[in-house]
Amino acid sequence: MTIIKTFEPEETTRKLPKVYIILAIVGLVSLMLIEIWVNNTMIAYGERFAKLTNAEKNLLMENQILENEIAKRLSLTNLASESAQLGFSAAQSILYVR
Amino acid sequence: MRIFLIKSFFVFLFLAIAVRLFYWQVIKAAYLQAQAEGQYFTDVKTQAQRGKIFFSDGAILTSSNPSFSMFANPKLIAKNQVANMAYSLAKLLTEQGLDVDELAKDLVFKLSKDLYWVRLKTNVSLENKRAVENLNFAGIGFEQTSGRFYPEGSSSAHLLGFVGSSEKGESKGYFGLEGYYDGELKGISGLVRHEKDALGLPIIIGNFLTSQAKNGKDLTLNLDRTVQYIVEQSLKSGLEKYGAKAASAVVMDPKTGSILALAAFPNYDPKSYLNFPKEYYKDPIVADQYEPGSTFKVLVMAAALNENVVKQDTKCDICSGSVSLGGFIIRTWNNKYRPELTAKETIIHSDNTGMVFISKKLGLDKFYSYLENFGFGDLTDIDLQDESSPDIRPKKGWKEIDLATASFGQGIAVTPIQMVRAVAAIANGGYLMEPHIVKKISDENRVFEIKPIIVRQVIKESTAQQVREMMVAAVEEGEAKFTKTKGFKIAGKTGTAQIPVAGHYDPEKTIASFVGFAPADNPKFVMLVRYDQPSSSIFGAETAAPTFFEIAKQLFTYYKIAPTE
Repeated sequence: MTIIKTFEPEETTRKLPKVYIILAIVGLVSLMLIEIWVNNTMIAYGERFAKLTNAEKNLLMENQILENEIAKRLSLTNLASESAQLGFSAAQSILYVR
Repeated sequence: MRIFLIKSFFVFLFLAIAVRLFYWQVIKAAYLQAQAEGQYFTDVKTQAQRGKIFFSDGAILTSSNPSFSMFANPKLIAKNQVANMAYSLAKLLTEQGLDVDELAKDLVFKLSKDLYWVRLKTNVSLENKRAVENLNFAGIGFEQTSGRFYPEGSSSAHLLGFVGSSEKGESKGYFGLEGYYDGELKGISGLVRHEKDALGLPIIIGNFLTSQAKNGKDLTLNLDRTVQYIVEQSLKSGLEKYGAKAASAVVMDPKTGSILALAAFPNYDPKSYLNFPKEYYKDPIVADQYEPGSTFKVLVMAAALNENVVKQDTKCDICSGSVSLGGFIIRTWNNKYRPELTAKETIIHSDNTGMVFISKKLGLDKFYSYLENFGFGDLTDIDLQDESSPDIRPKKGWKEIDLATASFGQGIAVTPIQMVRAVAAIANGGYLMEPHIVKKISDENRVFEIKPIIVRQVIKESTAQQVREMMVAAVEEGEAKFTKTKGFKIAGKTGTAQIPVAGHYDPEKTIASFVGFAPADNPKFVMLVRYDQPSSSIFGAETAAPTFFEIAKQLFTYYKIAPTE
């Protein structure tokens, strides 16, 4: 019998499709670019952050000052003085009705 | 040879470089790292706010107030600008009624100094700070500080205490609540550590370490704002009217031990405490000792009734005249004697000879044990700093005359808070309560409530009822009957105790007091009013009693208690 061709099973080699490799590279590069862009942008936010922190501090301080001002106006010492100026005086006698 | 020398030279050079590198990279590594971190890290300390103190109705008694300290760098200010700048600042910062020129001169002096930093003014308000910043003066800056704010002024000064500085320069509370609860009130400072850029601005994506500041805890008191105001106004007016050196009053809820009001004069302004004598800082209610006089009789009577050694109608067999004991003569306050005096009448007429009889019946052992049971000789554990308690002489040192005089409140020292607490036991059916100013302690996350504490039962409820009746009779028929509040059943007892001076009692100098509770059948409050050396009259019936009734009348209206008679 003449052997024309020896039968050899074909090697099943799995080769990653080029598409996936390209996609992975593109993805990585995009992420790198995004990170660089975010870092660049965020660095500039330092000033804004400092302004916001200061603004928060000032607002809290103003709140405290207002709260104290309200407390002062509602104090009995102040109310007694203002009511005296308005002509109010202590009751001399109280009538109890049963 | 030359090649050897050159080689040696290079080897030496490399060694020298290696040693130097070793020095900078190993030995000085920590130092250089700290330097580098100092350049690109910044630490910002966040101040914790001191806790607030509230009245029982939630109104602020004291809180923190941001204020500013103005400073200048005189080196940045041109000499020909100093006067102009000083006058512009003075016009903005001078308080109403004060001289602008005086402040301007002071500012000119400070701005002319050859210094890099000089403080110009403290306690600058936010409004004034903004006005100064709008002037855009070079070399002027502000530091934020925080002080205490008192909306009611110097009210409750003794109760509050004040905030000063510790040895380390940190805020620290002294006396009163600020001293007692300093640990809870002061809080813990925080720290923010972040990377900064060349302009000093934070780098958001850089390292950020924060330790949050923890603000101090807030205190809510049992103190009633209206009752406190009523007591202070009445006491202040009484101090002037009766020409006393000092006055104090304390109002307590007998059922819970809650302190509803506490006032003493002379007092001080906690905001500017340095302008007042140090003697004023101590709260006389918890720290002053005095001889209680006749107010003490109700407690001795309670002891005797509780032990069943006397009854209300037991007659005194030594009361037909003065009593002689151990070389001393004991008389009544008005030299009037009643041979058939009953125990009840002893209280009504405040008879010293009757009390000597009662104390003899009781005996020293039982008397002493009731002294201790009523809490005398011990701290009351009220939550105020600097409470003290006068010692009671050991029992074995007591002579017959000591028992006799102690029975009418002389020769024995107590504090006002001890006295009011003991009488509260009569008001509430026999239980000694622990007095408390603070009702609850709260922070952002939790609230801790302080519950009433019963120390012990001192007398039976039936005994308390009997003593109550005697005290009501004392008000209705005793020396204070002319000034009592009509229509209400008040239980009380006057006291006029001579003050010991250099080993003897001065008859002209007294502590005039009145202790009582009302309404007698279901007491809402127990109160002690005390005048130190009143000059208009030495008697408690004519000074402390009218003040007590005046306060009680207003409290009946406030608590909506209708008259029962």
